[in-house]
Parts: sequence; structure tokens; C-alpha cells
Amino acid sequence: MATFSAITSVIFAPSLEPSFSNNVIAERTSNLKMAIGGWRKNSFPSLKTNRFCVSCSAKPETVQKVCEIVRRQLALPAETELTSESKFSALGADSLDTVEIVMSLEEEFGIGVEEENSQNITTVQEAADLIEKLVEKKAA
Amino acid sequence: MVSPGQAAPIRPEILGLYRALLRAAREFRDYNVREYTKRRAIDGFRENQNLTDPESISSAYAEGKNQLAIAKRQAVVYSLYAPKVKSIMELENPADLIN
Repeated sequence: MATFSAITSVIFAPSLEPSFSNNVIAERTSNLKMAIGGWRKNSFPSLKTNRFCVSCSAKPETVQKVCEIVRRQLALPAETELTSESKFSALGADSLDTVEIVMSLEEEFGIGVEEENSQNITTVQEAADLIEKLVEKKAA
Repeated sequence: MVSPGQAAPIRPEILGLYRALLRAAREFRDYNVREYTKRRAIDGFRENQNLTDPESISSAYAEGKNQLAIAKRQAVVYSLYAPKVKSIMELENPADLIN
């Protein structure tokens, strides 16, 4: 699981071919083979370990799903930029919207978010991390 | 309706009530009632979003709590008499109905 994230983080490295973009979620195995080869050739281990820490917190598909749900709830137009660091308040969501977003996420992922946890969610990344944690706990 | 000693509810309490209403809505098996409860909660809170007067906030909050109690009771009553046939809106593949 940890190595998986390290390899997906390599996809973001500029030295690799530009054909790999953030949105490639399918064809995971083929990415894997290509990325392993790429990683061995490059010799910047310190850069890679930094990226490793950032991306191992939540899977890209989770972040994608969260972004989709946020976009649908807030009725954002397609051009609006939505990254994992986007704050809900910056996207025009008030506290009621945040509650609705958290409820939609609960339904989508089949988890239950506690009161205190939900008050701390302000960005897409935080939501994805909390979801990952709850899904793992549920699966355990 | 509101007892004179109570202070107006604060933001986390109100959001907690909102969340409780949406959760109560999920308990209903009937698609129509579920969607209505959700929609009514959202509309009700949006309508009273900009209240500033503590007394009106308190009375709106008290009304919300009453509605929550009603929703919870009704969810139990409805589940006692839940029909087996689901609403067509909930079917994944409506073509199955024909078979």
C-alpha cells in the first residue's frame, strides 16, 4: 500500500513523459511497470521521499470522488479549479453547505463521521484523509 | 414557547440539529418521505439562514427540534409498515420491472 503511493507520486515528477496526467486512474498496472523503470533511472531520492510523504495520506481516487461530490453539491461550473488543497469556504460554501457535503460523503463511502471530526473539515484533502481513516477502520 | 432563561443556540448546536435532521431523513425506507424530509430541512435552514434576533433564532431552533422528534418517531412507525416494493426512483435498472 505504501509503495503503491510512492509509485503514483512518481507520476507527478517532471522528468517522466508528460503523457501521465493526474486524471489517469485506470490502467494502474501499466502505469506501475512504466513508473518502476522510470524511478530506477532517475537519481533524486530526496525529492521522491518528499513527494512520498505528501501523497501517501490519501489515494487519488478518493480525492477525485470527494472533488466530484463537492462540485455537485456546490453546483460549481466545470471551469472552476478544484484541487486537494481547495478550502470549502473559498469555493463559496457556508457552514450549511459543509454539513451537506459531509453527509453526501458519508453516504457515498458508507462511513459515519462524528460531530467533532466534521467540524474540522475545511479542505478537500482533510475530507479525503478522514474518509480513508474511517474506511480503514471499518474494514478492520 | 421558549423558556425565558435559555440563551440563543450557538452555531455548533444549530449545525448539530441540521445534521441530526439529515440523518433522521436517511432512516426512512420510503423514497418520497425521505426526499421530502431532506429537502424540507435544507429549505427550512436556508430560509432562516440570516436571522439575527436571538428570540427568533431560539424559536426557529425549538421548532426544528420538534420536527426532529416527529421525524424520528415517524421513521419508526413507517418501518413497521414498510412495503416490499421499492419506488421506481430507487431501482438501479428500471428495465428489471418488466421481467
